[in-house]
Amino acid sequence: MLSQDLANIKEEVLESIEKANDLKELNEIRVRVFGKTGLITNISKGMRDVLPEDRPKVGALINEVKTAIECKLQEKIELLENIELNKKLEEEKIDITEPSKDSELGALHPITDVIDRLTDICVDMGFSVVEGPEIETDYYNFEAMNIPKNHPSRDMQDTLFITEDILLRSQTSAVQAREMEKRKPPFKIVCPGKTYRNDNDATHSPVFHQMEGLVVDENISMADLKAMLTILMKRLYGEDTKIRFRPSFFPFTEPSIEVDVSCPSCHGKGCSLCKGTGMLELLGAGIVNPKVLEMSGIDSKKYRGFAFGFGLDRTSMILNSINNIKNLYRNDIRFLEQMKK
Amino acid sequence: MKVTYKWIKDFVDVNATPEDIANRLTDAGMEVEEIIYQNEHLHDVVVGKILKIEKHPQADKLVVCQVDIGKEITQIITAATNVFEGAVVPVSLPGADLVNGIKIQKAKMRGVESCGMFCSGEELGIDENYYEGAGVNGILILPNDLKIGQAIDKALMLDDVVFDINITPNRADCMSIIGIAREVCALYGLEMKKVNFSYDIDVYAKDTVRDYVNVEVNTPNCLRYMAAAITNLKIERSPLWMRAKLNAVGIKPINTMVDITNYVLIEMGQPLHAFDQELIGGRKINVRQAKIGEEIEVLNHNTYKLDESVMVIADQEKPMVIAGVIGGTNSCINDNTKTCVLEGAVFDLKSIRITSRKIGVRTDSSARYAKGVNVANAELGIVRALHFVSKIGCGKVVRGMIDISSVKNEERKIEVSVDLINDILGLQIDSKIMVKLLNNLGIKTVCYGKKLQCIIPPYREDLENDYDIAEEVIRLYGYSVYDNMQYDLFKNAKVTEGEHHPRLLMERKFRNALVERGFYENVSYTLVPEESPKKLLLDDIRANIIKIANPISEDIACMRTSLAHSLFSNIAYNISVGNRTMKIFECGRVYLTEELPLVKLPNEINMLGLAVCDEGYDFYILKGVVESLLSKTSATYKLERSKQPFLHPGISADIIIGDKVIGSFGKIHPQVAKNYDIPNNVFYAELNDDFLIELEPVKRVFKNISKYPIVERDLAVVVDEKVTAEEMLSAIKSSCGNLYYNASLFDVYRSASVGENKKSLAFKIKLVDMNKTLTDEEVNKVMQKILKSFNYRFGAVLR
Repeated sequence: MLSQDLANIKEEVLESIEKANDLKELNEIRVRVFGKTGLITNISKGMRDVLPEDRPKVGALINEVKTAIECKLQEKIELLENIELNKKLEEEKIDITEPSKDSELGALHPITDVIDRLTDICVDMGFSVVEGPEIETDYYNFEAMNIPKNHPSRDMQDTLFITEDILLRSQTSAVQAREMEKRKPPFKIVCPGKTYRNDNDATHSPVFHQMEGLVVDENISMADLKAMLTILMKRLYGEDTKIRFRPSFFPFTEPSIEVDVSCPSCHGKGCSLCKGTGMLELLGAGIVNPKVLEMSGIDSKKYRGFAFGFGLDRTSMILNSINNIKNLYRNDIRFLEQMKK
Repeated sequence: MKVTYKWIKDFVDVNATPEDIANRLTDAGMEVEEIIYQNEHLHDVVVGKILKIEKHPQADKLVVCQVDIGKEITQIITAATNVFEGAVVPVSLPGADLVNGIKIQKAKMRGVESCGMFCSGEELGIDENYYEGAGVNGILILPNDLKIGQAIDKALMLDDVVFDINITPNRADCMSIIGIAREVCALYGLEMKKVNFSYDIDVYAKDTVRDYVNVEVNTPNCLRYMAAAITNLKIERSPLWMRAKLNAVGIKPINTMVDITNYVLIEMGQPLHAFDQELIGGRKINVRQAKIGEEIEVLNHNTYKLDESVMVIADQEKPMVIAGVIGGTNSCINDNTKTCVLEGAVFDLKSIRITSRKIGVRTDSSARYAKGVNVANAELGIVRALHFVSKIGCGKVVRGMIDISSVKNEERKIEVSVDLINDILGLQIDSKIMVKLLNNLGIKTVCYGKKLQCIIPPYREDLENDYDIAEEVIRLYGYSVYDNMQYDLFKNAKVTEGEHHPRLLMERKFRNALVERGFYENVSYTLVPEESPKKLLLDDIRANIIKIANPISEDIACMRTSLAHSLFSNIAYNISVGNRTMKIFECGRVYLTEELPLVKLPNEINMLGLAVCDEGYDFYILKGVVESLLSKTSATYKLERSKQPFLHPGISADIIIGDKVIGSFGKIHPQVAKNYDIPNNVFYAELNDDFLIELEPVKRVFKNISKYPIVERDLAVVVDEKVTAEEMLSAIKSSCGNLYYNASLFDVYRSASVGENKKSLAFKIKLVDMNKTLTDEEVNKVMQKILKSFNYRFGAVLR
């Protein structure tokens, strides 16, 4: 009799749990079964009427039904909670394409960005980064670089003067003699910075940037120059970059060369950037003229050096596909914000 | 420098194509910038003869011509009026593509077929100076003796190839055809042809050059002066072959004597000047510095006032030539000249450079003298010119030549080391190869063991030592040897440790911090207009603006003295193009001097400047940016009201370390905003990077922290506006004594209920004891003390 009742209760309750749609309904079932006057509670109360010898059996039966219901109840609660959570998560979904907050970014200027990159590479190779004055004496800018007054090599650059002997440096080479006077070989330096010329047209800016490099040691050769510049250009423009030497003339180097770099845009195949030649003329370089070493108090019988210099404006223009040098100095936000990517 | 293929061939038997020569020259350091084919627009143009002219049946102004073009007779219709039966004319045939853009094809004109066009001189790209008849308004009528059917470029000697070569300043000797020819010889391992210097003299004549002219040199700037005399001068059109070469290199043919001097100038690199002997006062040439006040009218029809820095070729009375630069109108040869004195001189290049710059005149002569003409060259030039006088037959050369020379220029012998050359180059070139390359260049070289003895010809003044010879060797050997060279970096050099520049590293931190706060980095011209300090209301050292002596334009004529100018200008520019809000910064130099004009180099100070143009921005956001930047340095600083003239006096602060102002920040002064035409709500800050990098690094000493909990209390009071937060916070600190942990201002409130000129300030005060938990009673006591101090010092009342 009792066992029959229990079986009925179990069947009926399990079914209503199965059918329940929310946690509230399940709670009502729990109260109906386990509450003070709940179905199981009442049956437990009825144990008094059960024969003592039957009690263990009936007790076990009650426990079994109780456990079954509780398990089912718990199972259902978890199920419903899960559904509820998923529903909530779904409702909380946001538009991830809305703009970020409180993290508006600016950008570096393309020229300083390239200075950072180049100086990092050169420091790795053992160069120290130095600076020099932009307003410079005629001596350091020209004479110490083996460009005497009224010498034909003065024609190579159109200089901005302040007085007869003070000028705006026309080349970062001006820093060479200053460093040679200060340092004892062996040393390796690079000097990035602003330079000035009396030149203002579609492809020239009166203010521009160069980086000079100078190595002085006992056994420096053109082969070292080749190896060093190859590494520098590869790290700047990519592993497949090649460089080529061509003869040239600078008063402060002998031999003097122009360095062509395989065009990073077409990898040497020829394109509009390199005007179909596959190569870009990017650096001037050479073995330091022994006269220049001597003028700065370095024994040219013992020491030899190489020097190189190149335009950073052009470098940053190539790296970033910038086609107008004037944009580098207008500081138009629409230009600068393109550095973000 | 323009040279031509045919002209080079006068000196070298080279068979290579123009393109090959151009490539080799470029590879050897004579950069050929352009190859110009004279006959590019002359194909399908031939010499033709008009056999018959008939009226066009349909048009009054046209005639129909039957023209012999050698292989056939063709029919051409023309409107030209200067043609006649029997005329020899240039005929452009179908396919021709003339210099003026006209493309010729067969066409019917009013129903009659025309198979080409007669050409004017202009349509062939030539003028009257080059060819007689080329300047007429009509068809170029050619001489009758031209071969009918011949290509016009051959017939008119317009078939040369011109190289435009960039000559580096060390190679003045290559400012000539012969110089380039010597390079070509070396590059192809050929021999130079013998230059013809012969000329005829009447052996029976008694007169010598001194019967026509005498020369005195009275200045050290004249290194050599040679003069020859030519009588029975015939001033007329020079021969076509001479005109053709001059025309090819862009020199206008004029007459026999002028053309000869120009020809020699280009060919030998030797400037010459021809005087009308009768116009030389006293028949005596005096080479001297000019006297102050002397004047001369020169061939460009300007009159120049001279002074002692200018060298002149004078006669007894007057300057006749500004030496080495330009001739005067008073003595030059003209159509009536019968006797000519020909000058071949060499001047000191510095003197010519100074003069050329001073009077602002640059000529083909001055360009060569300014690069340096070798003393030996004067003789080669003048003799070559006499050769042409004889060859053309335009005059009789008088016996003898005047030659006054103060400098000897002979071959020099130098000794260089094969090993050193190879060490410089990082190569192992065999000494035999070096000897061969140098000999090809005309440097007679022999090898003794590991030494080379080189005899340097006079024109190679640039060659002095092993390094110079190394360059000659490698440029002829070919730099391509390095193309695929594998070489370990600094294989034989000592290891050096690379170091970043400390200030650049600090600036890198600043830049990155600002970029993360939405700032865009600017790089501006350091060249600014002269009025920039005035626009910024500057009246201190920054008003001493350094001016450029030869500025490009007014707006970039001076060196900037404040980054504010650059950044405010950049804001103005951006607003003008529609960018209305921006945060920008720049790391750059300002150039300051106590003394003007400059007698020593100015101070170049590295600054960081930043500016914000944004409606919602305020002083305290800016202050946060400045604090975050300073946190990247070891600065401990205080703030004072700013004295920057371009900042709002009430909304700006100076950053003080010791007794130095190392930076400022705040809102722009409204007057300055107006000067730059930018909004009032612009904020600006600047820091002196040079000062910040010099600071001693911070030494941190950590304090122990209490085991007992912190007690937190809030306190809100009302005070007068003039009381500062800093004063009140320091009062809190001193009232708390050693229970002080920290205190902060967390709210500022102003309203009518608070009162006029009053503000309500709310502080959060944190207290802690190192040895015990604080009781309420102890905390209350401290709070009472604070309140009392507030009241006593600032008249503050509890809110």
